[in-house]
Amino acid sequence: MKIYTGGGDRGKTSLFSGERIAKSHDRVEAYGDIDELCSILGAVAASLGGKYPKVEAEIHRIQSDLMKVGALLSTSPDAPAFAELEKIEESSVRTLEANMDRMDADLPPLRGFILPGGDMSAAWAHIARTVCRRAERHVIALVDSFADRGHGSDYWKVLAYMNRLSDYLFVLARYCNHLSDRSDILWKP
Amino acid sequence: MNSESIREYATELLGRKNLSEDACELRFSFPAGFSFTPGQFVRFESHGLKRDYSITTAPNDKGIELCVRDTGTGHFSSVLASAEIGTEFRFSGPHGYFVYRPSTRPVVFVATGTGVAPFVSMTRSGISGYIFLHGVKHTPDLYYENLFRNAARIYVPCVSRSSDDAESDLFQGKVTDYLGTVLERRPYDFYLCGKREMIRDVTFLVDDYFPGARIYTEVFY
Ligand SMILES: Cc1cc2nc3c(=O)[nH]c(=O)nc-3n(C[C@H](O)[C@H](O)[C@H](O)COP(=O)(O)OP(=O)(O)OC[C@H]3O[C@@H](n4cnc5c(N)ncnc54)[C@H](O)[C@@H]3O)c2cc1C
Repeated sequence: MKIYTGGGDRGKTSLFSGERIAKSHDRVEAYGDIDELCSILGAVAASLGGKYPKVEAEIHRIQSDLMKVGALLSTSPDAPAFAELEKIEESSVRTLEANMDRMDADLPPLRGFILPGGDMSAAWAHIARTVCRRAERHVIALVDSFADRGHGSDYWKVLAYMNRLSDYLFVLARYCNHLSDRSDILWKP
Repeated sequence: MNSESIREYATELLGRKNLSEDACELRFSFPAGFSFTPGQFVRFESHGLKRDYSITTAPNDKGIELCVRDTGTGHFSSVLASAEIGTEFRFSGPHGYFVYRPSTRPVVFVATGTGVAPFVSMTRSGISGYIFLHGVKHTPDLYYENLFRNAARIYVPCVSRSSDDAESDLFQGKVTDYLGTVLERRPYDFYLCGKREMIRDVTFLVDDYFPGARIYTEVFY
């Protein structure tokens, strides 16, 4: 089945809620970052090489959360379609926290700043973390533009999720190195 | 919407009615447990092929109907067009997000050919008062004309090939000609269904002439 129409050939795109906006709009930047993050998480999972199905399953669950976040960001909050969306719930933030704590318990204490890298999976997890922070910044830019319109709460949940996910990805990067018997690469200024 | 409950169902072909020389309305049994929102489609599977068809009936109808054009060159549409009554098929569904979203703006439905299908379902479910443009090559392809004439605030049959039996309100030309030259410029909610070129061209017209409008689309072919 062909999926293209060419409707985006002149620099505008359609939101899920039907509005036409420039592809350079903050909103497109934001869901573009989420798309990038989701894809990089695919690389993290792929580079684990099938050896750690539990970690991979966790990554897939996060990717599926990010699909929800992407749908939310590609929908204008005051459009009728917004009500149809499945929103990110606080329970997803709690799940991230619990999984992060579980990984952290297996890791040696952090002894300073670390340099991103090590195992391929850890290197990808660090890239994911930085893209997650960028996504967060773009979501904040969006929230700033309509916080007074009463739709803040779903976006605040997204912000909490992105903030926690960045922390999670830092721990995941260390955990990936731990799984492959590598220690942190410490920064020696 | 019912996006969480996509499942496979068996259904039986119960009847066939010609809509034009190459299009027909097919009636199927309504599988137990199935539900959908007007505008959604089902995915038929047969001989390893999967093809999508929008439901034209309302959710509380006793059966499910499709409006299928036998493309002549294709496989699946001819299977459906020639299947014996009583044949069992399998489909999955409900699929899709092309559903009616009530808003305060005026609504414009634009269809080419069998792209009327989701609008038939919406109309049979009680939606009315819209502007409806149906783009076809010849007047016999104006399927469901009476249904739309009754429900639409403005019904515009756009016929691209000239015909002798031209009715008074028939627009000679494509839907894009009508949108570009006749339709009052306001921020509408546009719903576009059918041919990809139409969807692209209307999208560009909306970008140029209807700023602030919303566009919902379903590409059939
Ligand atoms: C979401 C969705 C909903 C759809 N709903 C319907 C529907 O309600 N009714 C319907 O008839 N078709 C519908 N289609 C198209 C349908 O899925 C098949 O593509 C069509 O029946 C042709 O299948 P085929 O195997 O016979 O031919 P294919 O070999 O797949 O196609 C043959 C040629 O016919 C063209 N074509 C396909 N469909 C049409 C059409 N409807 N009118 C004119 N040309 C066409 C194709 O572009 C291709 O060039 C829908 C498609 C999608 C994606």
